[in-house]
Formats: sequence, C-alpha cells, structure tokens
Amino acid sequence: MSALHAPQHAYNDGLELVEDYHARGWTDGLPIVPPTPELVEEFLEAAGLSPGHVVGTVPTREVTVTAEHVAINAVMAGCRRDYMPVVVAAVRAHLHEKANCHSTTGTLSGAAQVVIVNGPIRLDLDLNCTAGCFGPGWRANATIGRALRLVIRNVCRAVPNFLDRASFSTPARYSFCFGEDEEGSPWLPLSVERGIPAGASAVTVHSTMTVAAAVDLTSRTPEGVLDSIVAALRARGTAGDRWLGEDTNVVLVMGPEHRRYLVDAGWSKADARAYVWERAVAPTKHGPSPVKGGRPDGFLLVAAGGPGMAETWLLLPHLALAVTQPVVVGGGPR
Amino acid sequence: MRDAVELEWAGIPSVAIVHETMAGSARAMARVSGMGEYAFVTVDYPHVPLAVWAPDEVREIARQVAPLVLGQLRAT
Repeated sequence: MSALHAPQHAYNDGLELVEDYHARGWTDGLPIVPPTPELVEEFLEAAGLSPGHVVGTVPTREVTVTAEHVAINAVMAGCRRDYMPVVVAAVRAHLHEKANCHSTTGTLSGAAQVVIVNGPIRLDLDLNCTAGCFGPGWRANATIGRALRLVIRNVCRAVPNFLDRASFSTPARYSFCFGEDEEGSPWLPLSVERGIPAGASAVTVHSTMTVAAAVDLTSRTPEGVLDSIVAALRARGTAGDRWLGEDTNVVLVMGPEHRRYLVDAGWSKADARAYVWERAVAPTKHGPSPVKGGRPDGFLLVAAGGPGMAETWLLLPHLALAVTQPVVVGGGPR
Repeated sequence: MRDAVELEWAGIPSVAIVHETMAGSARAMARVSGMGEYAFVTVDYPHVPLAVWAPDEVREIARQVAPLVLGQLRAT
C-alpha cells in the first residue's frame, strides 16, 4: 500500500503518458520522465522525508508544497535520486517569505530563479562549476534547476497566462543552476559567508530579472576589474524594492580571468565587495545612484566559470532576497 | 486582487482596480482564492500597466474609474 497522496493515472506506455502530461499542461514544453510511484518513493527516501512533509507554502495562492510534490517534479525533470536533497533545499529557499515566490514567478518582467550550489555535494553530483556552467551539458545543472521550475509551475500555479504574466519570460526559466568553483578559488564559499558551516552543502536561490556581462579584457589590477563591474552595475541599475527595506542582493559571478587579479593581489571577497559597494551606490551628479544596495554584504560574490573570456556576470535582483538553505541528506547535513 | 479578496474576508467591501493587461491574472487569482466570480474594475489603454504615470494621467484614470468603483460597491 503506497503512502503517496497524489492521484494515480494509468497509461499503456511511457509515450502515452508524456503526451497526456503535455496535453494537461504539466510540463514546461519539454518531455518529462514518468513519475512512477516507485521512483517517487525512492526520491523521498533519498531525502529522508515523508510524502506529507511540508517544504513550504505560497499563502497568496493557497498552495502548500509537500515533499511528495517535490519528488514527483524532480523525477519528471530528469533528476537522479541523489539530487533530491538539493532540489528540496532549493524549493525550501524559494518558498522562504523573503524569496517572494508569488511576485517573482508572476511578474511581467519574467524573473528567473537561479540555484547556486556550494559544498561537497557539487562533486558528488558532478555539478558543473567551471567552463560552461550556465549552459547545457550537465545533468545535475540541467535537471535540478528544471525541477525547481516544474514545482513553481505544477504546484505553485505559475502557469503562463494564468498566474505567470511574463511579457517575454526568459530561457533561464527552463533551468538555471550552477555550483561555485570552490576548488578553483581560495575565497570563502558563498554558503560559508552566509552562515553555513564550512564543509557542509547548501543552495542559494536568487530571483534575477537581468543577467548581464561585465566584460573587461584589458584591466590587470583589482581596481581596474572592479571599476568595470561598477560601471556595468550602474549602467543597469537595480529596482530597490521598498518592501525589502535597505536590503538588496546583487549576485556577481566572477570568472577566473577576473578573479586572478584580485587573488594575486591578496584581495578577499569582503575586500572586493566593499570596493564595489561603495562605488556602486555613490550618488550621481544629479541624484541618487541607480544601484540600490543597502549594505556591502548584500553584494554576493561567487567564483565560477571557465578561462578565456575576462568577464563577470551580474545577476540583478527582482522583488526578493537571495535565500540560502542547507542541503540535508537523510536527516543530516551534507 | 488578492488584497481586495482578503479585505472582503475581513468584512471590508472592496474593489480591485486592474489594468486590462492583467485581467486574466486577476481572474486567476480570484479563482485560486475561492472567489472565481469576484468582479473587478479594469483600466484600459492608452495607459500602459507599468508606466510611470504623470499626475494629469492619474487624475484622468481616477475620473474614469471612480464611477465604476462606486457602482460596484453599491451593487454588492
């Protein structure tokens, strides 16, 4: 007797199931893996959670997200069962009050949810943190990000032209997940800076409206590289959502060609953050800065990407704070 | 829309004013809130939903929607 709660449907074969899921609007437009009761139970076991365990809620949508919901959508997304604890942590982070699921998934601007993974589980799952980490080719990156988005669609009701009212939306809404290159950087990992013990795994979920590159091919000093990042930030600006008070999170994903000038000169993440923050929020000649950043530690610096292009990517926020949650495997931290 | 629904739950007669572009989303929100038939007032073009409206435009919109809001309140 299964302990699962979801209604079960019978199909003659997997293809019939996939076509029916498309017809019912249960996918993002791509094929899914059939969420059989056996697979769903295996995924729940991998996370050490009962089907009815509440992972989070969206009060404005009358939605309660359970571990069974997460497992079903993780299977559908193509995850391996050992990805499940990361998916649960990502869903938990996204459903935090300050992550503002309702607005970030319903907005006209079509914000995407980026999942940044830290800790040893990146290596266990072969999660790409280096060259090509924003793109296709790695199952963990592709399916963990997709699983979060399927939960947002199928459980949190952010269906396009229903509660998702994005004017254009973005391909980053299919999946956007990468890991920090902790092995390629001497810096403190993002998760450790945000209070997770060193050696433990965690995810940070950040809703981003704009993903833009700060390219600087010629600077050879920390100040030069960071001045280019400041210029790119000020050219774009941030919305400065009032309900978040003084808090704003801007994620800066710095590639190795930029990082090395900072690392070689002995700059820490905190040093870089202080330099960027002060200049990013400085007033213009005619009024306040276009960048609303309440505190230096709201600027989150992440090491990732591969060599070649000297660039740092700006993940500008939308109506939410970045939220970090530990990855819990079978009842204990990993 | 959800704010209006929650005010209604608190016993305060309310009217949601929604741009025409967002009418589908407003209907969806009313539906998931268990009030699928909840009526609301729409504002149409030429005022785009996320534009920064000038004071004169705001006054013009207010003139357009005030009678509709009053009519809906009287109808409930």
